[in-house]
Amino acid sequence: MIRKVFLPLAVIVLIFYLRTAAQPLVTAGPTEIIILHTNDMHSKIDNLSKLAYLADSLRKTHPVVFLVAAGDNFTGNPVVDMVEDKGFPMIDLMNRCGFDVSAIGNHEFDMGQELFNYRMDQATFPFISCNIQVTGGTMRQPKPFFAMNAGKDISIAFLGAIELNDQGIPDTHPSKVTGLKFSDPIKKMKEFAWLKDKYTLLIGLTHLGVETDAILADSMPQLDLIIGGHSHTLIDKPLIRNGVQIVQAGANLKYVGKTTLVVDKGKLIERRDEIIPMSALTGINPQIQTLIEKYNQNEAFSQVVGVAETPIEGYDELGSFMTDAIKKRLKVDFAFQNQGGIRVQNIPQGNITMKDVYQLDPFNNQIVIYNMNLSEIISLICNAFNIEKSIDLQVSGLNYTVTTDSEGKCAGVEIVGYQGKPLNPAKEYTVAVNSYMAASYRFNHRDPGTTASQTTVQVLIDYLSDVKKVNYSGVKRAFLNGEK
Amino acid sequence: MQVFINNREIEIFRGARVIDAILQYSKHAHNLVKIGQTMVFDRFGNITEPDGELTEGQILFLKKTKTHD
Repeated sequence: MIRKVFLPLAVIVLIFYLRTAAQPLVTAGPTEIIILHTNDMHSKIDNLSKLAYLADSLRKTHPVVFLVAAGDNFTGNPVVDMVEDKGFPMIDLMNRCGFDVSAIGNHEFDMGQELFNYRMDQATFPFISCNIQVTGGTMRQPKPFFAMNAGKDISIAFLGAIELNDQGIPDTHPSKVTGLKFSDPIKKMKEFAWLKDKYTLLIGLTHLGVETDAILADSMPQLDLIIGGHSHTLIDKPLIRNGVQIVQAGANLKYVGKTTLVVDKGKLIERRDEIIPMSALTGINPQIQTLIEKYNQNEAFSQVVGVAETPIEGYDELGSFMTDAIKKRLKVDFAFQNQGGIRVQNIPQGNITMKDVYQLDPFNNQIVIYNMNLSEIISLICNAFNIEKSIDLQVSGLNYTVTTDSEGKCAGVEIVGYQGKPLNPAKEYTVAVNSYMAASYRFNHRDPGTTASQTTVQVLIDYLSDVKKVNYSGVKRAFLNGEK
Repeated sequence: MQVFINNREIEIFRGARVIDAILQYSKHAHNLVKIGQTMVFDRFGNITEPDGELTEGQILFLKKTKTHD
């Protein structure tokens, strides 16, 4: 245990020492500042050895090089997100690459505030955001900005901000941001316009999406540059609004942005940005590559997350298992799963590994929750049935029977609870479906739906970890024409 | 939330991604985007990755990429 805690800490301290000891060279005349920028890496670690090599190469030839991330470093790769030390591989590799600062993105909250605190402690760089106020949450109050020296008489302030959805919180599960207060990002950023008087350059390091970055640029000309994220936009030609350049480098570390700022006598005299495809880079940092390979071969995939007391076979049993996980973990009334999203024919009796779960549900679909009444639920079941004129939806929380007309189409649906009681037609129920169904199935719903900011596979793993053992022998909840 | 794809209004669940809106717009377009034969652009002409997160009112366009002659 002691070794587990102190070894990573010792490495972090050493990296921090080496980075702070290496002062940038000071040159006469104009100073060229290079900022390598990434955004929305989403735990995609494979190209970090190339990024480290690029950053190291530039540091050898240029006096001032910064490496920054515009948020959403986490969520999107099970070797980072689903391991016991959730999120650590990403922080470890970012430390070793020499990241200088990161904005906080909405997916930084996916691991929960306490774990995010722990990851921030392990990071040798700060996470910043100016529009998050910790009022009662366990998250440590982040700093709004981070300033660094960039050579003689030149300083740069990076100012962070995070997007808010129409409910006034970032796009994550609301339970993850309890006790945090969020302010309008643009209004809050403008309150920090004074940074421009104190520092040579003021850079927005935002996780707002390009549309909001454009509005920010229109209203805050004090910014010299906006390095953005969230919308996964590849800005490969100059996007300048109100004199403010906006840059963003796609997502998933398929690209890295390289912005060059030239400062002379305290003034920004030149600004250019290029997008570098990672596929075009050949150099790698061998130490980091070795570590990436170690993380990719993580034994966590062989880890047993639960036990099937009997084989789980066929759509009825597998679908009931999958939807029970969603219903119970998200505490909704009903959950539905389309048969096309069930990708194995059975899970054998015995240990269920994480790999088994990913094979069952490989699509990385989000869960979407609707408030629906009985007639809307019937519309969902009927429309799904009519796609192939056969039972499509597996369910948790109710049993249903479809009756068909002479053409084999859905003519009606009888729905009862597990105890045989009919549903209340006047009541609104919470209903969860996956994002594929939410986007492609046609059904009546007045509520546009809200993502639960969790994937179905995550929920399955969490459910199995909770219940330990499952038994779905003979479970059947969807019937056709009086079938028993 | 409401977004626009090729000038068509799409009403999609809160927190949806670009690919979700494209799937709602058209299954065919969704398949073309997934295999890389169609790309997504924002109103500034920038490429938007399919897993990008949507902003209320976002305007997107689908354009076919060059295929084999």
